[in-house]
Order: sequence, then C-alpha cells, then structure tokens
Amino acid sequence: MPFGYHGCYLRIDVSRGSVERVPLADAVLRQFIGGSGLGVRLLLDAGCAHLDPLDPEAPLVFAFSPLVGSPLTTSAKFAVVSKSPLTDRINDSLASSGFAIAGKSCGCDALVIVGRAHELSVLVIDDGLVRVEPAAECAGKTCQATEAELRSRLGASFRIAAIGPAGERLVRYATISHDGRHAGRGGSGAVLGAKNIKAIALRGTQRAEWAHPRELTAISKDLSKRSFGPATEKYRDLGTATNLLTFNRFGALPTRNFQSGTFDEAESLSPEQLSTTRAKTRDSCVACTIGCEHIYAVGDDGHVRVEYESLFALGSLCGIGDADVVLRASQRCDELGLDTISTGGTIAFAMECVERGWLDEPWLTFGSGAALLHAIELIGSRHGLGHLLADGSRRAAHAIGHDSIAIAPQVKGLEMPGYEPRALQTMALGFAVGARGADHNRSGAYEVDFSDKVDRRHVTLDAVRHAIDTEDRAALMDSLIICKFLRGVFDDFHAEAAAMLQSVTGWDVTAGELRETATRIVAAKRQFNLLAGWTPAEDTLPERFLNTPLPNDAAAHLSLERLDALVAEYHRQRGW
Amino acid sequence: MHVEFLGVPRERAGVAELDVQADTLGRLLGTLAAQMPALAELIAVDRLHPSLVASLNGDRFISDPGTPLGDDDCVLILSADAGG
Repeated sequence: MPFGYHGCYLRIDVSRGSVERVPLADAVLRQFIGGSGLGVRLLLDAGCAHLDPLDPEAPLVFAFSPLVGSPLTTSAKFAVVSKSPLTDRINDSLASSGFAIAGKSCGCDALVIVGRAHELSVLVIDDGLVRVEPAAECAGKTCQATEAELRSRLGASFRIAAIGPAGERLVRYATISHDGRHAGRGGSGAVLGAKNIKAIALRGTQRAEWAHPRELTAISKDLSKRSFGPATEKYRDLGTATNLLTFNRFGALPTRNFQSGTFDEAESLSPEQLSTTRAKTRDSCVACTIGCEHIYAVGDDGHVRVEYESLFALGSLCGIGDADVVLRASQRCDELGLDTISTGGTIAFAMECVERGWLDEPWLTFGSGAALLHAIELIGSRHGLGHLLADGSRRAAHAIGHDSIAIAPQVKGLEMPGYEPRALQTMALGFAVGARGADHNRSGAYEVDFSDKVDRRHVTLDAVRHAIDTEDRAALMDSLIICKFLRGVFDDFHAEAAAMLQSVTGWDVTAGELRETATRIVAAKRQFNLLAGWTPAEDTLPERFLNTPLPNDAAAHLSLERLDALVAEYHRQRGW
Repeated sequence: MHVEFLGVPRERAGVAELDVQADTLGRLLGTLAAQMPALAELIAVDRLHPSLVASLNGDRFISDPGTPLGDDDCVLILSADAGG
C-alpha cells in the first residue's frame, strides 16, 4: 500500500447495514489518484452504468484523496460520484469541508454506498464501524437543521453531510451539504435520498502516513505563502461574484434565460454594491489559506455565502436585480438543498415558456422576485408546477412541448452555468463535450476566451487543444484534490503537482505521468457515458445558441457548422 | 483614450474608469503605474502582472507593450481568472 492511502474502500449496503472492506490495488490508486478519478474507476468496476441512478443498487461514491489531511492548502476536499439523475450520465461533484478529513480518518479512501434503508435514516461511520440509525425526526428538515439535530444526538466530534427536503423528494438537482458547503451539481442529493439516507455522520482516528513529511511540509509552506499573492486576490477581496460586472461588460452575462448577454441591473447585484449596503464577513474552507467565502447578511438574522453562479442563476438569468430577493433565494436553495444553477436555469426556462404562452402559469414572470421565491418553494416540495421543474429543464421541455427544448438552457440535461457561449466560444466547446454536461468546473475553457490565444467570438480549431488542456487540468485537480482557485499560483502545475504527490505517496511520479493520468480520467468518464448510452449527438448546444447572434452583439454568432467542426476536432485530438 | 477597470484592478485603482493620453499599451501601463501606486504593484514597467489581463475595446486581449492605441480606443483591465 502506498503512503497517503489506506488502500481500501468501504462498500456499505444500507439495506442490511452491512459493510465490506474492499482492497484497492496500488496500480488503481496510481492510475486514478483519488477524488473524481478514483470515483469514476469505482463506478466502472461496479458495472452500474446501465442502472437508473435512483435505483437502490446504483452506487453513490464518496471519494477522498491522498492529499486529504495533509498540510497542503485547499486539500480538504471530497468528490461525490454517481450516475446523475438529472443527466443519466456521469456526475462528479466536489465540496470542501472537514467531512473530507473525517471520512479519510475512518480508515478508507472511499465509501461506496448501495441499497435502500427501510426508513429515513442516518448512516453512521464511527472509525470504520458502520451502523444505520433511524432519523425520522429529521424528515423535512433543512440541511443545516439536520446537521445540528444529528450533531446534538451523536456528538460534536462527528462531521455530518446531509440532504435537505429536496433530496428527500428526489429533486433531480438536489445537493449534499456539509457545513454550508455543497456537492452541488447533478443531483447527488437525490441519489442519497433514493437510498432513504438523510445524512452521513463520520468520525475517525486513522491517519495515512506520508512518505516524505519534511518535503511535504516545505512544499505546503511555499504553496500557502504563494496563495496569499496576487493570483488569488480576486477570490480573497471580492469573491467569484466579481465576475458579474466583468461578464456584463463583455456581453457574456446570461440574462433572461440566455435571451441577452447584458443585464441592466447587474450593478445592483455586484459585490462592490452589495458590500456597501449590507454586512459582510469572510471565511474559508477547512485547511484553506485563500478565504474566498464572502458571506452577506440576509433579513434580520440570516446570512448566505455569495457566489457568482448563484447571483447569475437567481438574478440576471431570471431578470431579477433586487439583491434582497436574490440573496434570499440563494439562502433558500442552501436550506432546501438545491443546486442554485439548475434551480435558476430551470425557473428561467419556465419563465420564458410562460412569456411565449407555452406554459399557463401567468404569475411566473421574468423580474418577479415573489415568483422566483415561490417557484423555489414549489420545487423543494415538488408541489404543483414544482413537480415538473424538479426534474430539470430538459425533462420539463419534453413535457411542455412546443419545441421548447430549443431554449432549455442545458447540455446533456445539466443546466448551463453563467457563461454565454456565443460570446465565449471556446467555452461553448467545453460545454458541448463535457462528460457531465454544461459545466465550468470540469472545463476551464473560458480562461482561453479571456486571453490572447483566441478571438472569443470567432474561435477556430486552434482553440481545441487549449480547451482540452483546461479539461485535463481540471480532471487532475479534482482527483488530487486541490482547489482550482490555486491555478494561477502555479508556475508549472504538473511539475508542482508531481512534487506534492511524490512527497505524500513516495511514488516517482512525474509531470508527464500526471498528464497521462488526467487524460485517462477524462477517458474513463467518457467510457462510463458510453456504457450509459451516450451518443455523439449529445455533444452539442441547444438550438438557441446556434445560427442566431446574441442580441446587441452581432459578432457573437456561433454557427452549427463551426460548433460541429470544433467538436469533431476535439474528438479527433482525444483519439475517440 | 479611455480605460475601464473591473474587479481587483478597480479596487486597486480606486476608480471605475478614466481618460488617459497614451499611444501604446506599454505607455498606458506606465502612466497608470505612475498615477496609481496600488495598481503599480501589478505592473512591471510596461506589462501587467500575470494575474491581470487587458482587452482592447472588449474585442481582443492584448499583452504586447507595443500594441498601438487610438484616441477612440477603450482598454479594459481585469483579473486573468475571469471565471470561478
């Protein structure tokens, strides 16, 4: 067994409350590292790609990594990997919190959860010993209330990840939450809910040894020092929310269900404005030196962590510039356990359907804060229209008809994050080919658009290799795992990542090997999708974005032919 | 010519925009560094620190200090990590 690992995973059947400690071969760990990579490999080994993701036997993997528990900044992260109930394709969502450290301290490198508990339950893993306890008293409670309730019952030494009411009701974009952080995209909360598991409570004492502690300490100190520099200043001082005005200036801020790339009320949602009108505090994830969390007051005694993606999805995308409403909507999504991007995307889609007369819900209009907040409640409870919207914009479009799928803001069923693809066309490619659908965390192709490498509104085939580089880098960072907000800190990411991994594992790993590892992990995700029924026709964008320029920016035009050529070149360069 | 600051550069500049006389990107950055000490920390002579980028009229990103600028041009200065 290499240093940095426990060399096994726990396969837990919550139907029977049983656990099996399954060895992990050294070669598998070296080839897939941990996090997303290891999770995907475990899913492939389970042979589950054909299963309905909400089938009790469909596995839900919590994958840790060799760097978890080390002094390396931002390394306290875990990946939740499964087939997505929203996309029916691979899904890997990550979160940063002490849950990662506690999970690995249970003496395993991953948890693979199958089965369905007989009643709503909490899965307790106490230093590797597993039990399933009834949790009826948590039914219907928010993520935060569930954590508090179970911590009170089990003890403060437990770290607890929970689903909210949305996960219990199998909303297809429900999250899993711990300590205010969410494994957010793709509906892992619904997968846990389908197992009748309201929460997972962990604590442990088992520590994986490091191969070269002295070198690891030196690398960690140097990385922490650099993490205080200009490369992370944006996250520290303003947070990701500062993207709002930047994207608006470049005509890339999705507005009113992607009908526009600019929003007249963007200024009112910007962190520069928010911080002048309400109290704000800063915080950081466990074991992080960046401190990107900007937490704003909501109402009399509430607060919410503000991110660009939440502001865009619940703000400009729904045509809402009232900051009080947007912050309250974001807070409510956190409480219910809803992915803010898919929530906002699905509601904005429904608003446009109402506008076009395709959906008879006249109250649901762009710009109505009351409508947004009401729709969120309906989704969380699956009441009325919420039952339709809880399945995401793609399924809702198929139910609504009128060729509304053309304006459903999704790829492979996953609602698009806040990057207008006509204005950022390398990102358009990244969205189209993404294994888990339209996603900014698995492809950083927008970075290419914001550089002198391409003309962002007229990208050519030269953009493809850059898009692949960002996708590979993301796969590696999600498997090591370290935060992508560090990416600007590295002079040579692969060489530095190899040094980190060497110091923890003792492997003679090189930058070149890590490049191959990243490619392998991306290919493994594709392999899962192939087994799940992927076809080439899925690697595209909704019709809205093709052949019609962005209003107010005629240069932002992406033809179907150009996107097809980019996708074909991507597949060619991948060797697929 | 016109300059707009977004995000961290705006915080450091202390203004959202201003007009400057400069005929190349390098000269513009030199002028800004001389006028704005907090921003000067992220300007090395005539080039931006890698954490920042410049866009000409929102159309294309520029880094060559010799890039010519016209009176009607607008240079946007923003963080290189535009996403997140």
